Amino acid sequence: MQTPKEIGAIQFGLMDPETYRDMSATKVITADTYDDDGYPIDMGLMDPRLGVIDPGLQCRTCGSHSGSCNGHFGHIELAAPVIHVGFTKLIRRLLRSTCRECGRLSLTDEESEEFRDGLTRTEELGEDWTDVLKSAVRQARKANNCPHCGAPQHDIKHEKPTTYYEVQDVLAGDYSERIASAMQPDEDDEDDAGMAPSTLADQTGIELQRVNQILSGEFRPVGDDRKKLEKALDVDLTEEDMNKLMPSDIRDWFEDIPNEDIVTLGIDPNRARPEWMILTVLPVPPVTARPSITLDNGQRSEDDLTHKLVDIIRINQRFMENREAGAPQLIIEDLWELLQYHVTTFIDNEISGTPPARHRSGRPLKTLSQRLKGKEGRFRGSLSGKRVNFSARTVISPDPTLSLNEVGVPERVAREMTQTMNVTERNLERAQQYVRNGPEGHPGANYVKRPDGRRLKVTEKNCEELADKVEPAWEVNRHLIDGDIVIFNRQPSLHRMSIMAHEVVVMPYKTFRLNTVVCPPYNADFDGDEMNMHALQTEEARAEARVLMRVQEQILSPRFGQNIIGAIQDHISGTYLLTNGNPHFSETQALDLLRATSIDTLPEPAGEEEDGRPYWTGRQLFSELLPDDLNLEFSSSTGDDVVIRDGQLVEGTIDEDAVGAFGGEVVDTLAKVYSKTRSRVFINEVASLAMRAIMHFGFSIGIDDESIPEEANEQVDEAIQSAYDRVQELIEIYEAGELESLPGRTVDETLEMKIMQQLGKARDSAGEIADDHFTDENPAVVMARSGARGSMLNLTQMAGCVGQQAVRGERINRGYEGRTLSHYQREDLSAEAHGFVENSYRGGLTPREFFFHAMGGREGLVDTAVRTSKSGYLQRRLINALSELEAQYDGTVRDTSGTIVQFEFGEDGTSPVKVSSNEKDGIDVENIADRVMDAEFTSDEEKERFLGRREPPTNLSEYAGPGLDKAQSTEVESDD
Amino acid sequence: MVDVSQHTLVPEHTLLEEEEVEEMLDEYDVKRTNLPKIKRTDPAAPDGVETGDVVKIVRDSRTTDTAVTYRLVIE
Repeated sequence: MQTPKEIGAIQFGLMDPETYRDMSATKVITADTYDDDGYPIDMGLMDPRLGVIDPGLQCRTCGSHSGSCNGHFGHIELAAPVIHVGFTKLIRRLLRSTCRECGRLSLTDEESEEFRDGLTRTEELGEDWTDVLKSAVRQARKANNCPHCGAPQHDIKHEKPTTYYEVQDVLAGDYSERIASAMQPDEDDEDDAGMAPSTLADQTGIELQRVNQILSGEFRPVGDDRKKLEKALDVDLTEEDMNKLMPSDIRDWFEDIPNEDIVTLGIDPNRARPEWMILTVLPVPPVTARPSITLDNGQRSEDDLTHKLVDIIRINQRFMENREAGAPQLIIEDLWELLQYHVTTFIDNEISGTPPARHRSGRPLKTLSQRLKGKEGRFRGSLSGKRVNFSARTVISPDPTLSLNEVGVPERVAREMTQTMNVTERNLERAQQYVRNGPEGHPGANYVKRPDGRRLKVTEKNCEELADKVEPAWEVNRHLIDGDIVIFNRQPSLHRMSIMAHEVVVMPYKTFRLNTVVCPPYNADFDGDEMNMHALQTEEARAEARVLMRVQEQILSPRFGQNIIGAIQDHISGTYLLTNGNPHFSETQALDLLRATSIDTLPEPAGEEEDGRPYWTGRQLFSELLPDDLNLEFSSSTGDDVVIRDGQLVEGTIDEDAVGAFGGEVVDTLAKVYSKTRSRVFINEVASLAMRAIMHFGFSIGIDDESIPEEANEQVDEAIQSAYDRVQELIEIYEAGELESLPGRTVDETLEMKIMQQLGKARDSAGEIADDHFTDENPAVVMARSGARGSMLNLTQMAGCVGQQAVRGERINRGYEGRTLSHYQREDLSAEAHGFVENSYRGGLTPREFFFHAMGGREGLVDTAVRTSKSGYLQRRLINALSELEAQYDGTVRDTSGTIVQFEFGEDGTSPVKVSSNEKDGIDVENIADRVMDAEFTSDEEKERFLGRREPPTNLSEYAGPGLDKAQSTEVESDD
Repeated sequence: MVDVSQHTLVPEHTLLEEEEVEEMLDEYDVKRTNLPKIKRTDPAAPDGVETGDVVKIVRDSRTTDTAVTYRLVIE
């Protein structure tokens, strides 16, 4: 394998046509590719000197075979120069800012100097210098005469894409008429008596005879004469004349521009000359860059680039033939333009104003630019993003028996994805066993590599034999086995927790299995989601992944500095049932609850039942999972105060605020105060305990859980009816013209607001009524209270009243003229005509309500769709803007050029995941320092000595502390 | 004209003496041109600053009470 060379720098510039010719393997003159026997034609587009694509053939330039020969450029000598489309703007800029006669920049030396200084300054400041360039061009364009040779300058008109005109003011064809009419007396102005030819002659100083000749059209007054006449008669005698600049003219022009002058225009004369922007020779890409494919029927199909090159060569030849035959200028110009078109589309086939070159089928050709541009282009598609080996993708499904650090990998995947094993004396037997198991058995091996570098495939047939040959220094590509570390990912990868490292557990069946507590960081569910897995291939990668990327290391999210992994959904319902009201459990029950955890002995029972049997409480069992020295106090989302003293839950309900993902207090504290491993153990065990608990109590929900008694229904109806009445009142006040408008609102808006308010209240009171009739054991209530899933609002809508439907934050106002549906009168302002749904989901919606509900629902769907695409693009731009910023060892944040962005990371130099999320107890630095000192030193003496000593600065990076030069003077060795 | 420097939301901008500038550049091992920039015409820039000067800005910070930054004055 070829090792990639290190790239020190990349420079962009233009290439000298001579260089093209020098590096060219051959000149290409024939448009044909292959002869009748299928052999490439010499000096054709498939010339064997341009590289080989057919296996077995030898490259005529370098002698190597296909695969090892990268191909070689050829060239086409263009019959006439053509403009390179990529540089049209720069060409225009140069034409406008340089003299048409002497080629010098139309700026005085002082001005030039100034702009050059401006360029260096902006570059030093690390800013964009296009503004300076633009103002230089603007300044140069202003000059009417060249400040160096004095030649008059003309305006340049650019007709996209590749035509340039010089706009000249020339004497109009009807100059005599214009002069004559100006000499006539003005009919509306009595003072104007006109002008006799003799007066004109006197005023302009032109002889009378000449004036008469001018008037009769025999003499053309040009130059000074014209100006004098214009001045005397106050008339414009010119018209614009467009003089087309041929590419050859432009090339000649550019050749005259001196090197010193182009520096001011931001061009480095060592790397580029303006005339090189006009092509005289066209490089022909090697055949390896445009391989032809042989179809099933034996026919060859050429690459788009080859097709385009064929066109160019054909026109080029026709051009030459015509010119030699002395064809009229018109035909030559047409052919020139055609050549320009083909070269233009060869470079870029998506130029506006030019019809794209098409394939016979009508498909636009994919030429050079199109290969690079866009999402599927070379940069974004092939260089920034690639398809990789050692990866797998399949559907995910849940497995609560796995640890959150693990991932269940199907055996089929494990057999395909391998890890390289360096055979040593110590693992020899295992390695041999893997090989002996073959590629089909698991855990087996797929390949072995001998010390001489030869790779052998392990097959069912040779595995036994091969296993005996394996010895130290061999490499064995063995299957994935339990405990291997792999990277697991779900798209869209929006934050760093979207890619985490898991330990493999090989399992039957075909899906990836993961513990449900890792759903929040991946934002995964099991409705058909698929995820990707990558097997790591080097020891460094595996070590790094294990230390930095393992799920347990990602429990705390840098997004909000609290845990993102924790109990979800049923886990929370489970701990709620276990701890709310502190239920009693018999010994068997208690043991059953704890059986999936590592707790194998029960604590002292909390007390005895009346019949004398000991019992344990739910809080007691939960406390078994806590570390013995944990002390915490906080209020739960259920509404009570949770007190944990010395690792015992004394009081309170464990719900979302205690153990949930997204900032559960207990998990957060464990991760920050104890260790990542301790919190991983805790999360795993809470999940197991909670599942046992929810199964112990039984948890289900059905339609009857949302029904309320008849009298409650009547109360709801009553509440809604009274809201209707109040709305009616409001409407009556409004129609009487007595409604007072709120500040900053019209009367109409005020009415709408007040109606919305009333109806909102109606729904709330319906909810309250429904709420009163639900017991605390109601599963929907349990879920809403504990924060497991759903809210009281959802419950209200199911049992009480769905409420007002809104589109764009207003009542529904669209549909027909003056009304929402044809079922209502026009200008009906009532609640029901504008999308108030008085029924509950359980009771069922009327058809009209259903329609309004669908309108509101559609808006929600559209919103989410629009939001995701918008935020996706926003994130892409943000990432591109911030991608090269880096926190340095000295605490500053700098970009790649060393420009400081922040003097201290985030103003405080702290990582959000290392900061206490409790506002009350900030970081007690003194205390921590004392603790560290106590642990480190036994005697006060040692402590003193340590505190008194000054460590010499270590030079971790060039940004940390003094620079290298200074560091050496203080005799500190840099460690790089 | 409103004097923005008196506004509560505008942090304190002070012109650094050349000596202090050198000290700061030394501390961060940074070239003058690699500092963040501020326009000479910026309403918050202190009176009498010239291109090439360095301005010290002391901001209130939620996490560290005050945060210090330096900016190079440009045209």
